[in-house]
Amino acid sequence: MEAVLLQLTSHITQSGYGSDLAAAARGASMLDPGAEQAAEVAKLWWFFFSICTAVFVGVIVATVLSVWRGRGHQSAAMPPPAVEKEPRRDQGLVFGVSSAVTLTILLLFVLLVRDFFTDRVLGTPSAPDALTIRLTGHQWWWDVEYEDLLPHNVFNTANEIHLPAGRHVQLQLQSSDVIHSFWVPSLSGKKDLVPGHPTAMWLKADRPGVYYGQCAEFCGYQHANMKLIVFVDTPENFAAWQAAQRNPAPEPTTDRQRHGREVFLSRTCVMCHSIPGTTAGSRVGPTLGGLASRRTLGAGALANTTEHLRRWIVDPQSLKPGVRMPQNELPSEDIDALVDYLQTLK
Amino acid sequence: MNSTANEPLTDLTLVAPAHLAKRETELDQKLEKVWQRPNGIVGWLCNTNHKDIGIRYVVTAFVFFGLAGLLAFAMRLQLAVPDNTLLGPDRYNQFFTVHGTTMMFLFAVPVMEGMALYFVPLMVGTRNVAFPRMNLFGYYAFLAGGLMLYGSFALNIGADAGWFAYPPLSGPDFAPGKRVDFWSQMITMTEISALVAAVEIICTVFKQRVPGMSLNRIPLYVWAMVVTAFMIIFAMPAVMMASGLLAMDRLTNVTTHFFNPAEGGDVLLYQHLFWFFGHPEVYIIFIPATGFVSNLIPVFARRPVFGYTPLVLSLIATGFIAFGLWVHHMFATPVPELGKSFFTGASIMIAIPNGVQMFCWIATLWGGKPQFKTPLIWVLGFIFIFMIGGLTGVMLASVPIDRQVHDTFFVVAHFHYVLIGGAVFPLFGAIYYWFPKWTGRFLSESLGRWHFALFFVGFNLTFFPMHILGMHGMTRRVYTYSAETGWGTLNLLASSGAVVMGVAMLLFLANVWKSRRTGETAGSNPWNASTLEWATPSPPPSYNFAQLRTVGSRDPLWIDSPETTALVDGLSTEKREVLTTTLLDAHPDHKYELAEDSIWPFLLALVVGLSFTGLIFHPIAFPLGMGFAYLVFILWFWRGNEPKRASLPHVSEGAAS
Amino acid sequence: MTPSPSSAPRPVINVARLPASALDHRSPIWWGNLLLLFIETTMFALMVAAYFYVRQNYNLWPPPQVNSPFALLRPVPTLSLPLISLAVLTLSAAPMIWADRAALHRREGAVKIAMTLAVIFGGVLIAIRFREFRYLNCRWDDHAYSGIIWTITGMHLLHLIVGTAENLLLTAWLYLHGMDEKHARDVRVGAVYWYWIVGIWWILFGVIFYGPRLWPQGQL
Repeated sequence: MEAVLLQLTSHITQSGYGSDLAAAARGASMLDPGAEQAAEVAKLWWFFFSICTAVFVGVIVATVLSVWRGRGHQSAAMPPPAVEKEPRRDQGLVFGVSSAVTLTILLLFVLLVRDFFTDRVLGTPSAPDALTIRLTGHQWWWDVEYEDLLPHNVFNTANEIHLPAGRHVQLQLQSSDVIHSFWVPSLSGKKDLVPGHPTAMWLKADRPGVYYGQCAEFCGYQHANMKLIVFVDTPENFAAWQAAQRNPAPEPTTDRQRHGREVFLSRTCVMCHSIPGTTAGSRVGPTLGGLASRRTLGAGALANTTEHLRRWIVDPQSLKPGVRMPQNELPSEDIDALVDYLQTLK
Repeated sequence: MNSTANEPLTDLTLVAPAHLAKRETELDQKLEKVWQRPNGIVGWLCNTNHKDIGIRYVVTAFVFFGLAGLLAFAMRLQLAVPDNTLLGPDRYNQFFTVHGTTMMFLFAVPVMEGMALYFVPLMVGTRNVAFPRMNLFGYYAFLAGGLMLYGSFALNIGADAGWFAYPPLSGPDFAPGKRVDFWSQMITMTEISALVAAVEIICTVFKQRVPGMSLNRIPLYVWAMVVTAFMIIFAMPAVMMASGLLAMDRLTNVTTHFFNPAEGGDVLLYQHLFWFFGHPEVYIIFIPATGFVSNLIPVFARRPVFGYTPLVLSLIATGFIAFGLWVHHMFATPVPELGKSFFTGASIMIAIPNGVQMFCWIATLWGGKPQFKTPLIWVLGFIFIFMIGGLTGVMLASVPIDRQVHDTFFVVAHFHYVLIGGAVFPLFGAIYYWFPKWTGRFLSESLGRWHFALFFVGFNLTFFPMHILGMHGMTRRVYTYSAETGWGTLNLLASSGAVVMGVAMLLFLANVWKSRRTGETAGSNPWNASTLEWATPSPPPSYNFAQLRTVGSRDPLWIDSPETTALVDGLSTEKREVLTTTLLDAHPDHKYELAEDSIWPFLLALVVGLSFTGLIFHPIAFPLGMGFAYLVFILWFWRGNEPKRASLPHVSEGAAS
Repeated sequence: MTPSPSSAPRPVINVARLPASALDHRSPIWWGNLLLLFIETTMFALMVAAYFYVRQNYNLWPPPQVNSPFALLRPVPTLSLPLISLAVLTLSAAPMIWADRAALHRREGAVKIAMTLAVIFGGVLIAIRFREFRYLNCRWDDHAYSGIIWTITGMHLLHLIVGTAENLLLTAWLYLHGMDEKHARDVRVGAVYWYWIVGIWWILFGVIFYGPRLWPQGQL
């Protein structure tokens, strides 16, 4: 039944906007879980939904019936009130109300107990081989740092997270400015990134795929454009991706790309952005390592194409007003070279 | 008591009916002179009549409702299609902040206060609230707060950090300028207004009930307002603290660090303080509505309410438990998990007294002869919509479920279902019910049904899809979304619902406009109801009742008879005097003189309003404001205390007690 | 109201001889004052809760004072003047009790003297309180701890000012117009307010001045 209802709700969100949608709707619903956590919550939700629906139907039926019974007694002027005590009628009502209250208490208790069971399942797992990721929220982008015991294995990405399927992941959550919230509905419930209160949550994604989420705590101007894409890879694919990320940026092969790198290193870009393998190490803005393989720019504000990248560098304010990156006036061939270089960063 | 003698201070006599009729006409004339409303514009500013102040609250609140509704309409237009450019991020952020702030602080609470200030004194059988001038001051404070918010909004520096304005986003680092400061001082003004109304209601109900109206005989609506008033007393200080501490963090030369983690402050402290207020706040809005329902259902079921005592106990239980729920607004934050479980339990438990109320109401309908008229239709709509909202609330009590749907459109749907279903529907029912009392004319029944039908359909069309949108990933407070999300269809549906709701509200305005002139006329008790407000003409005279009479039951106009009750005589017809009675059993106790109309409440509100506005800019406004307020208060106290009549006894030296 | 249809005589209660005011809890103003005290007590309770909540964020409490020439590791508030202030505050209840009882017994002369004394006590207390802030050993904008104790102390100062201002107004009236029933009641209600001002400061004083001493946090 759950599958049928899920199909139905997915259909509603799928009409008329393109084939991309099937994938998107699939990857962004709490009722379409791709991880252990979301799966548990979905089960709990359906349980609550069934009981609540039953209660709702019961109350509405009782209300409708009680009014229906009075249909023969309508009059334009209000009939005289029945103030004499009617013990038999009222006895029936006492029984009815008491039963309803008792049933309510029982059902609420059932819900409470079921809820506590889910809580326990969602607690901290024992996971000695867990992957640890430190997620730092900024206005309006995500800094993703893959932790490791060996410092040279630690690397950063921005706005996109790769996770290995079937493995426990501990996300450490902190914020550098205001409160944000990490939420990927198909994977798990959300957790706030609160300045001054670093915290952690556990994930275990089971189904490989692409999952969408976005910041879920109002964080200012561009809160709507602080999106997240989570790629759940098979363990092999994840290992390959991880190895690639740990390598420094590839050397540029053409002159134009080399010129582009020079532009990057000699302008204001390095004040905010880092590229592993170069001298640029600033943590103010998102790292550019792996930029070319990201799907979006500006944390989901726009698709990652050459034209968009070009426009973003020149005038990010026109694409995502309020973003912390300033406009950059550069000669046209410098921009071309820069874009060329950035597109080598896979 | 002054006298040590054992003789009672009240006399019981028997008077023939013929004398009574003549006496009543005399009383009408004399009382009208004493209690008459002052004339002119200045008179309008000085008027301390509780009915007029109540109507002002209601009308002003509805103006704010309309403004907030327009903002919501604009937001729905923006969100109707993906990647829309009608409202940019700054505008949109101001719009949703001002919409939420207006609805919560400038509409929902004041409208309930206004209805109470009108009806509670009538229902308990007295002539005005306990402190008429303070009551007037409360209204002006409310108005000042609203003007502050909308003044800044009109200048495009409206608050834009959400109606709960969490730091650090609302703090000095991330919310530059004065936007959030206008917000926090508006909170101060409206909170003062709410506290004033709460004090009025409690003192009036506790001390000024008509003899015979013991506590277990007061109407359920009055019980609801007493519980609400106590909740206001204990909840409002928390929001005053939250907004006050935020204002201090932000104010130049003060710059405290309550919410600055770098200096040991705590961002979550704000959330705790805010929600300690915020959760009771929604019950402050809902409980008066349950009072309306408890009042309406017996009248339209044509029988006394079933379960008076359980209903009273449910109100009190809800009032208490409501203070133990606040962390459920913070389930996604790093608060200890064990603590969260406690709040899950409490949040689920509060459904029990709500359930008791619901079942008693249905039982009343079942055991009666329900008359299918517009007020009852609104109550039925309330049951349908509030049940949905309440049940999604039970879902939200669960931490795992809440962590999925918190801060999404699911929650937006939930709270609109409980607030509109739970408060606005009963409010409309109450308005259709009491309009004849206010104006002497009925609202049109057929227009009323159209209003209901369109509003009901439009509401569900707007907000039901939001449940699904939230579960499919649409977070709150986003000014736009992209087409790939697939949220477009449901958003378009929701926005079209908003159009239907708008049309419904226009119908309502048309109904009010038309009925005031040409509606069917109504006498003093057109619904043949049982509570005391129907024992006086429609609209009531300025003094409410010419002849007070004792009550002997919960439904005085249905059950009491001339044989079982007495008239109450002996209150002055030269000055504004009310009778105070004892707390539990309402025995006559002493007479209490109420103040005359006065301009000082207006002037004090002006000074206080200007001081708090000044405080937005510089802390010197605080001592300066206090100084001026003291001056005004001296004049208020002095001028308002000059004995106008020789009847105030001068106490002689050494009089024995 | 429509006259009763029955022709039998109706009972009528005449309340004309009831007193025109009450001097105790039977008066609505007394209740209004009580509700105000509920509101303010809730405010202070929340501030005390905030004090302990913020304390969780610190290793040393009170936090070290680094803004003065000689840094203090654990700058607990100094007790000397504040203790004197507490004593004077407690003593100030005496003239209020006197005024309270005198008003109850309608002794106008005694009320006038007692209220004058109360106003003088109030003025002295306000002056002392302004100095007392120094003894907190921090500036209001140093950190969260200092913000909270300054706010608690400042809010209480506000009550001292309001209470004294009210007493001043009432005393002036009593001298100019004498004491009638209404103002006798006002004196008694004002006294209740003053008792609260004294009582609540005992609790707040304990939290601010003895809290860090009796329950220290962190190792020196």
